[in-house]
Amino acid sequence: MYGLMLRRACRDIKKNVGRYLALMVLIGFAVYMVLSMMGSAMSIIDQSADYDVILNVEDGQFTVFVPLNATELDKLISSGVSVEEHFSLDYEVLDGSVIRVFKNREDIDLITLHEGRLAETDNEAVLERRYCEEHGIKIGDTFELGGKSFTVTGIGAAPDYNMPVRNLSDTAVDSVAFGLMFITPSAYDSLLSEGNSMKSEDYVYAYRLNGAMSDDDLKAILEENEFDVADIDDPFFQEYWEEMVGRKDDLLEGIDDLNEGAQELRDGVNDLDSGVDELVDGVGEMQDAMPDLQSGANSLYSGASDLSSGIGSYTSGVSAATAGANELNDGIGQLSSGCSDLAAGSDQYMAGLCELNDTAYALSLSEDPFTAQIAGSFYQATSGLVAGYSGIDQGIDSVAQGTAAASSGASELAGGLNTLDSNSAALNSGASSLQNGIGEMRTGINELSDGVDELVDGVDELDSGVDELVDGMNEYADGVDEFTSEANDLIDEVFDIDTSNLVVYLPVADNARIDAAPDDVKNNLYSAMFVGVVALILFAYVISVFVVHSVDQESSVIGALYSLGVRRSALAFGYIVVPAIAAFIAGVIGTLVAVYASFGIPSNMQESFDYYSMPDMGPQVQPFLLIYGLVLPAVITILVNVLVIRGRLTRTPLSLLKNEQKAVKARDIKLGKMKFIPLFRIRQLLREMRTGFTVIFGMFLALLIVMLALNTFIYCYRVKELNVANTHYEYMYTYKYPEKEVPEGGYEAVFEETTKEFEGYNFDVALVGLTRNNPFFDMSALGDKDSEVILSASFAYKYHLSVGDEFTLTSKDGDKLYAFKVAGINDYQASMMVFMDIDACRDLFGESNDYFNAVFSDHPLEIESGRLNSTTTKKDIESASGVFVDSMKSLITTLIIAGAVIFVVVMYLMVKMMLDRAAFNISLVKVFGFKNGEVKKMYLDGNMIMIVAGALVCIPLCKAILNYVYPNFLVANVNTGLSQAFPLYIYGGVFAAILFLYFLISQVLFISIKRTTPALVLKNRE
Amino acid sequence: MYIETKGLKKSYGEGGSFVQVLKGVDIGIRAGEMCVIQGTSGSGKSTLLNCLGGLDSIDTGSVTVAGTSVEKLKGEKLADYRRKNLGFIFQFYNLVPNLTVRENIQVCEYLSKSPLDMNELLEVLGMSEHADKFPSQLSGGQQQRCAIARALVKNPKVLLCDEPTGALDSKTSRDILMLLEKINAKYDTTMIIVTHNNSIKNMVDHVIYIKDGEVSKDYYNEVKVPACDLEDL
Repeated sequence: MYGLMLRRACRDIKKNVGRYLALMVLIGFAVYMVLSMMGSAMSIIDQSADYDVILNVEDGQFTVFVPLNATELDKLISSGVSVEEHFSLDYEVLDGSVIRVFKNREDIDLITLHEGRLAETDNEAVLERRYCEEHGIKIGDTFELGGKSFTVTGIGAAPDYNMPVRNLSDTAVDSVAFGLMFITPSAYDSLLSEGNSMKSEDYVYAYRLNGAMSDDDLKAILEENEFDVADIDDPFFQEYWEEMVGRKDDLLEGIDDLNEGAQELRDGVNDLDSGVDELVDGVGEMQDAMPDLQSGANSLYSGASDLSSGIGSYTSGVSAATAGANELNDGIGQLSSGCSDLAAGSDQYMAGLCELNDTAYALSLSEDPFTAQIAGSFYQATSGLVAGYSGIDQGIDSVAQGTAAASSGASELAGGLNTLDSNSAALNSGASSLQNGIGEMRTGINELSDGVDELVDGVDELDSGVDELVDGMNEYADGVDEFTSEANDLIDEVFDIDTSNLVVYLPVADNARIDAAPDDVKNNLYSAMFVGVVALILFAYVISVFVVHSVDQESSVIGALYSLGVRRSALAFGYIVVPAIAAFIAGVIGTLVAVYASFGIPSNMQESFDYYSMPDMGPQVQPFLLIYGLVLPAVITILVNVLVIRGRLTRTPLSLLKNEQKAVKARDIKLGKMKFIPLFRIRQLLREMRTGFTVIFGMFLALLIVMLALNTFIYCYRVKELNVANTHYEYMYTYKYPEKEVPEGGYEAVFEETTKEFEGYNFDVALVGLTRNNPFFDMSALGDKDSEVILSASFAYKYHLSVGDEFTLTSKDGDKLYAFKVAGINDYQASMMVFMDIDACRDLFGESNDYFNAVFSDHPLEIESGRLNSTTTKKDIESASGVFVDSMKSLITTLIIAGAVIFVVVMYLMVKMMLDRAAFNISLVKVFGFKNGEVKKMYLDGNMIMIVAGALVCIPLCKAILNYVYPNFLVANVNTGLSQAFPLYIYGGVFAAILFLYFLISQVLFISIKRTTPALVLKNRE
Repeated sequence: MYIETKGLKKSYGEGGSFVQVLKGVDIGIRAGEMCVIQGTSGSGKSTLLNCLGGLDSIDTGSVTVAGTSVEKLKGEKLADYRRKNLGFIFQFYNLVPNLTVRENIQVCEYLSKSPLDMNELLEVLGMSEHADKFPSQLSGGQQQRCAIARALVKNPKVLLCDEPTGALDSKTSRDILMLLEKINAKYDTTMIIVTHNNSIKNMVDHVIYIKDGEVSKDYYNEVKVPACDLEDL
């Protein structure tokens, strides 16, 4: 029976050769794709592990401040640890790229040569292979570096630069801009002595533990090593060291000052306590005096009232006196005038008397004696008269003078009284004011009394407060004593760390450069394995749809055979053997192509060779790969088909004979009144749910692959675009030995290297303190709290952080955790950075207020190269950013083609299946008079609903899956984070592509509709 | 004649498998009449029906239906011909299984610009209460009534019935024939019934016998027996 069923199966192949060929192409293509990736990944992983042993790959490396001395080295070696110097110098060569120069390796991380031999003389060199490939360098070429010429004698790779990035924090390999060179030790020393390197020499040691101790043990030993400052010739280091020592002294002095200040403060507080006690006493006395003060104020107010009243009377008297004085003045004035007139008249009268006297004298001398006698007598009378009147006249003159003086005195009296009068008004007003003032004073004294009462209470409280202050102050002073002691210890400890010779300790597990390629392809391996199984399940399910169709068509035949005694397993074999054989053959073809074709495993491996610096490796075919490629397709096909048709083959013979259709409720739903064509389409979709589901499943898988390609494209494109567009500085200098002054035109920053874990990978994250006015980074969202930080976009996306989130960073030595809160996210994309206020950063790391160790600028700065740790330019970033797009182009194209092929083939086969199943009905409706276009509307265009609905569900679903899987698994090892969001046009494009492909498929299948004739109905009837 | 064939020949296969099914059939059927084409299995009666319906091409001769030369029609014009003129009833009903009775009838309602009222038709055919059932929920007679309703809804001028009672029991067969009789009377539909049942010829106007690809008898019944009185169905 099995032979018969096999024969029947062979005829089935012949009958459906196109269908099986298409499925075989699909399965073969999937196996080829998956095996190519898996084979490539497994080859790289296995051979990398072999090379790790052969090349004596380091267990880790450490960087020191100054080279280890002989004693320190002996200590390590005698304990069983292997150590080798991997010192290096960086040089910029003519094309602007940077070459890191090492001595030839002898023990650890040995160089593998792709071509040629190691450098044997001082003018020979081995160059790293990726750099040579990018620059077209060949054996025998001359290479200029550091003012010397080297002949390239070898092209090779070093395992500690498997990912040849210049800095561990670099996002991508850029072999155009960075490479390695290995020369003889004497050539290296010669270069070193020339001093033309871009930065100071890096003292890196590679080590192998050889089972002698653990990493922690070695690290502890290395941390004990201290360097002698005097041994270091570097003038920049000496300057830096003096600065550091000076800062220590400043700190110690500051702490002493603090201690002294605390003691003085304690004394002062004790004095304050005494003063407050006296104040309490004084205030008590003041309170006691207040009643007397109030009584005095009352008396004073009463006196002021009397004074005001008296001054009023006085003012009235002065006014009356003033009026009398004025009148007196006037009268005396008139008297004085009369006296003047009297004096004048008296003078005239006197003059007349004198004339009369003279006349009488003259007559007395007359010759007439009578006359002379009479005249003599008269003369005597007049002489007496003159003499008498002379006294009167003098009296009159005295009266006149007296009245004049009286007049003057009266006038002054009047003036004085007038003044007094006017002043008495002011006196009166003043007395009133005095009275009012004393009244207010009295009120004030009352309030003062109340205030004094309160003051007494307050002073009492003050007193007790000061007592507590005294106690507190004593405790504070004691605390400051303790602080001083602790701080001194701490400062000693802190400054002791700086004397530790160990700068970086990097075990191999944390070194992204080592075994980067096998780490990277591990993701490919697991993804390919998973996607391969999903694809095979899909294809097996597609096959099962055909098998189910055959089983349904041959239901009555199966029933008849069962009735005749044929066993179910034989029938199941008959239906499954062909798909299984087809899947097996396809698997064999896919495996052969993947293993032997140049575009199979070798091509996939080449993608790694084009990015990583790897030793020569060839494709390896592991047994697992063969099992996956040769066995899995057939096994999955058998399993899926058995599961799907089992239900049908377990029906009773009678049920099969009658071809009873299992009731499927979903198919028999009532649709109510609808227009005919939409109604028919829905019925058709319900009828073909299984096929529709397969189409959707196929679309989902195809979209998953296409969206993966698009995600990769967007990721690479954004690395390229955003890294450049959102880098606003042109130069970033980091110092090994910081300067005191910020170079003119530069913006200082404090850089501290920290790490953060993500999905098992430890990434370097730069904690950057920036000034608020730094024009290259948006710091506007930063608040005043020291714990607030701004994230670079790459960091925020990598760790899925948003504003308001809290997170921690780990110090480079892993000993400390720093907690921060996200205040904002800026657009910086080129590396993972966390920005904070520069002063807060200085405080956090115990640096001085003017400390900085990095500078940003928009133009080159004059900084001595010996000071620098690194220089990063925007051009470097631009160059490195393009690497991703270039390296991923072929993968993106392959994935898109694979997705499209899966979609088209599955869609074609399934819709064709639907049409085949509906062939009789198509024929029937054609009998009724339906035209081809109408039949297409009914049976083909209805699928558009399914495709549109499927696309609308699958596109966002696939995107959501990738949004989770892509950053967390596929690029988890990449040192950047990016927005995974697609621009809308990509969604539109994918949707349009689906519709376009469906349109093409429907046009092809329309031919099938056209070929279906009404005669089919007749055949069925006959 | 409303339907006419002249010298109609049809053959299948080549060489050793060549079969001449129709060997020059000449028939004429008037409008509105019920005609039975009877014959043994393999006589060519169904092939003749298919040629009348434009479902099968002819080798030579002519087929004219309502003035249309069917043999000259191809593709869309042939579809137009069937759409405008013909209704089909099959032995095994050929209902679309995942459409309800109403929806199956809608299939042909869609084809006509002036279809008959579906509810009235369902009433006439006694299918109103089954309108929302699926074919699998119906008996054979009910399925055939549904198939008749589907054929009639577009109000065809000619109804081609290929063994309409072939899969039915006697009682149901009578019901279906009574129905066809009723429809012929009500809508004046020309009916051609292909059958091997000997009783049906008594209820129709016109009887044509086909034997070995040729018309062996062609006559009109002077007296028709109503379907309800037919025996040996």
